[in-house]
Amino acid sequence: MRNVAIIGVGYTPVFVSKRKDVNIVEMMSESVDAAFRNTGLTPDDIDAVTFGNMQTFEGLNLPHLWASEHIRALDKPVLRVSTGGTVGMSVLQAAYYYVASGVYDVVMATSWEKQSEGDSQVGLAGIVLPEAIAMVQHGMDLFGIKGLGFGGGGSTGAASYQAMSYLHHSGASPEHIDKMAALERSNAVLNPYAHLRKKTTVEDIQATQMVAYPLRFGHTCPTTDGATTCIVASEDMVKKLTDGNVAWITGVGYAASDPCTANFLEGQITDPAEQMPAKIAVEKAYKQAGIKDPCKEIDMCELYNGFAHQSLMWLEKLGVCKEGEAHQMLDAGALEIDGEMPTNASGGVFSTNAIGSSAMNRPAECALQIMRKIEGEHQIPKKIRKALSHGWGGLFQYVAVMILADEPAKS
Amino acid sequence: MRKVAIVGQKQINAADVGKSRERMLFELCRDFYKEMGITRHDIDTFVLCSNDFYSGHTISNVFEDCPVGAYMKDETKVEADGVMAATYAFIRILSGLYDTAVVVASSQGGSVMRPYLQMDYSLNPTYDRQVDLLNEVNAAALQARAYMDEFGVSEEVLDKIAARNLRNAARNPYAFNGKTDVTPADVANSDVLYEPIKAMHCYPFTDGACVLLLAAEDRAKELTDAPVWIKGVGDLLETYYPERDVSRSKSVKSSAERAYKMAGISDPASELDLVEVSAKFSYQEPIICEALGLFPEGSAGDVADRGLADMDSAMPVSPSGGALGAYAFCAGGLVRIAECYRQLTGGAGDTQVADAHTALAHGQDGLFLQHNAVMVVSTEEG
Amino acid sequence: MTFEMGPETRQVEAMWDVSTYNYRMDGTGIRLLTEGMKEKKLRGIRCGECGMVYMPGPSYCRKCFVDIDEVVEVKDTGTVMSYCVTMADVRGNPIEEFRISAMIQFDGADTWFVGTVTGVEWQDFKVGMRVKAVWVDEPAGSLSDIDRFEVITD
Repeated sequence: MRNVAIIGVGYTPVFVSKRKDVNIVEMMSESVDAAFRNTGLTPDDIDAVTFGNMQTFEGLNLPHLWASEHIRALDKPVLRVSTGGTVGMSVLQAAYYYVASGVYDVVMATSWEKQSEGDSQVGLAGIVLPEAIAMVQHGMDLFGIKGLGFGGGGSTGAASYQAMSYLHHSGASPEHIDKMAALERSNAVLNPYAHLRKKTTVEDIQATQMVAYPLRFGHTCPTTDGATTCIVASEDMVKKLTDGNVAWITGVGYAASDPCTANFLEGQITDPAEQMPAKIAVEKAYKQAGIKDPCKEIDMCELYNGFAHQSLMWLEKLGVCKEGEAHQMLDAGALEIDGEMPTNASGGVFSTNAIGSSAMNRPAECALQIMRKIEGEHQIPKKIRKALSHGWGGLFQYVAVMILADEPAKS
Repeated sequence: MRKVAIVGQKQINAADVGKSRERMLFELCRDFYKEMGITRHDIDTFVLCSNDFYSGHTISNVFEDCPVGAYMKDETKVEADGVMAATYAFIRILSGLYDTAVVVASSQGGSVMRPYLQMDYSLNPTYDRQVDLLNEVNAAALQARAYMDEFGVSEEVLDKIAARNLRNAARNPYAFNGKTDVTPADVANSDVLYEPIKAMHCYPFTDGACVLLLAAEDRAKELTDAPVWIKGVGDLLETYYPERDVSRSKSVKSSAERAYKMAGISDPASELDLVEVSAKFSYQEPIICEALGLFPEGSAGDVADRGLADMDSAMPVSPSGGALGAYAFCAGGLVRIAECYRQLTGGAGDTQVADAHTALAHGQDGLFLQHNAVMVVSTEEG
Repeated sequence: MTFEMGPETRQVEAMWDVSTYNYRMDGTGIRLLTEGMKEKKLRGIRCGECGMVYMPGPSYCRKCFVDIDEVVEVKDTGTVMSYCVTMADVRGNPIEEFRISAMIQFDGADTWFVGTVTGVEWQDFKVGMRVKAVWVDEPAGSLSDIDRFEVITD
């Protein structure tokens, strides 16, 4: 297996609700060109491209066909990967495998979403079609019947069950969710590529409408337009193309549970907050990265948190702390940018959610933190040696993990 | 680089399988794993291949994981042709992180969705989709005409190509659209869709799924006595149609060149024993085969007249009947690889080509052959 | 003549007329469940290998990857595994009457079902509470034959 590194990242200039000044393919090209600017590379240096988004959100089938020039993928091998919420990380993992395999040396991974040009709620509701059991569980009128009451609206209702289960088992209180939300919103203020950038206090969060207890409106993520590109390279090409300041991908993991659950609705073999795929995926990644004690060895986390309680839940499920400890770390200030375990210094998905790119922004942020190339004020002061990034998606069912480090893995 | 082999295949194609997609996938994989003597726990990574538009719901793989046995397993989904999914699975094994991979591609274009309409959704939404002049079939007509005009090829040649594929398909139990003893005249008499494309030039709307098991060298030899080695892969994305010469395929040519280089093939016409190509319309077969370097450019008339692509010729093209026998989106390209596997392991029954050792499978996406992928496979470990 | 090329991007409204799909789905487990509900009975499907009881049942076990068809009776009492309290409508506007929705594991099943719980103040409701289905007077063989759930107090 060859060592592989992220050598550069490119974001769209902004992540906002509506990019009215560019169309879909123009927006993609912004992040691709930013990645070239930031690395000094040109499209000629790229051997292959991996690409993804949630295609039904914009109503575009196989958008890479239309976008071939705009993503500078003309006359290159292109792999389209699409896995729901995890897609950004799936696309980056594909680029990783492409280089690790030895078939290609420099690969560009790009992912995006322009949620303003589609209807995300329609897209999300479309996930359960046409599986009978899932539809019934979601309260859809299938056999001429009304389903049993399904709480809340859209995915907030679904996440509420998870949040409640997490609170029950961890001993955290709803106020901890408020506190985590305020922390991440405040981090986002420092990040020029974050969407919701308004200084927010715990009181501000608590003043928002409760949607489905224990989740408030202030606990939910926005819908965002934006794109992200990462360029990855083999060890040889890192020497040729860079000054050596790169972020090495030392571990990858991915696991799928069953739909409508990830231990959530039908077929709930375990608890909604159990998230067994997280454990399976992260154990594999830790093993590959040679990490034996993640609590001590991981220096920072970027976690996929569509809802504010999830940052706390993932810290536990991904083994960064013990079960029931995350809210204590929050209270002790450990999750802050200058704390022991800075978590979502970027503001997380919770503050910026261009779905296709959300799970790529997690490892991209880790890479920039390791390279100390963070633009804005959210650079973590301490040296980052090992960082954990995470993606989540499907019907509560997919978990993707990538570990980044300042040194390549020892062979 | 590690050696990776295909060690088994299973497929189903029908105008209407009469089952839900989940049940179709479960039954296919359940029986396949039993035949291979493995359980789902023997599979290190699952590469699914499907498409939200073809499935009719967002994140098409959410209901596919459990039916293929990927519950609590490593999994991903390629949203492209099956050859791309197989390429990705091959690359995953090459990375050294996995020893076995299953690739499963599926769609239900026969009973659930309308394939031509789904292709419309891949058009540029700010122009072509609004102007509403272009669709998959008239795009095919435009490209067919471009090829015919460029090289002086007649419509009868397209009829002959279609007739040969439909006759081949009749001998293939996995194809459902075969027509024994069909003649070029029968094809010529079928309905004209967009001149010069006639109904019998086109792929049939298909429900289908295909599964392949890939394994690294040691595991491959444990799993089978007759592994078929993956020798080379290549794919290439061309520009969206307006600025290219559609009478030839640059991307087929370049992807083949990549794969040949990787496989150490310098003279494909003599070194390949057969090819299985995804020609969704009969006119595409010569464009693809010529770009693969099997026949001279513009030679479709000569190839058809002299039977140079027939099953018993030196270069059999799509002895399975190709995409005209059955073509489920996503699964289409994977079926081409599966057919190469059947040929190289001597299991192709009535479509068997004699002395087949090395073969090439081709898959495509988009209008005007925009994205092409090829895979070279061989019985020689090398 | 030349044309001055400059940045010009417009937003246009276009309808995405999503295709009609003729979905095929496997409704066996639902039919088993709803037919039983005519007699106020709950029925699930048990995996012969791992013993897991699914309700409503799929036609195969996701863990064991084998076909399953053994019908088992499940009680109409269960345990609250998680819950949420709806306090706003889908657009986020506050609503007058809060609604408790719980994920309930019926006694004898390994999977969970979502249902509405009444007769309890939301502040008093907790994970782990025991609940019982309240059936409609004349069940018609549909999931709405269970009208709601109530907390078992004893």
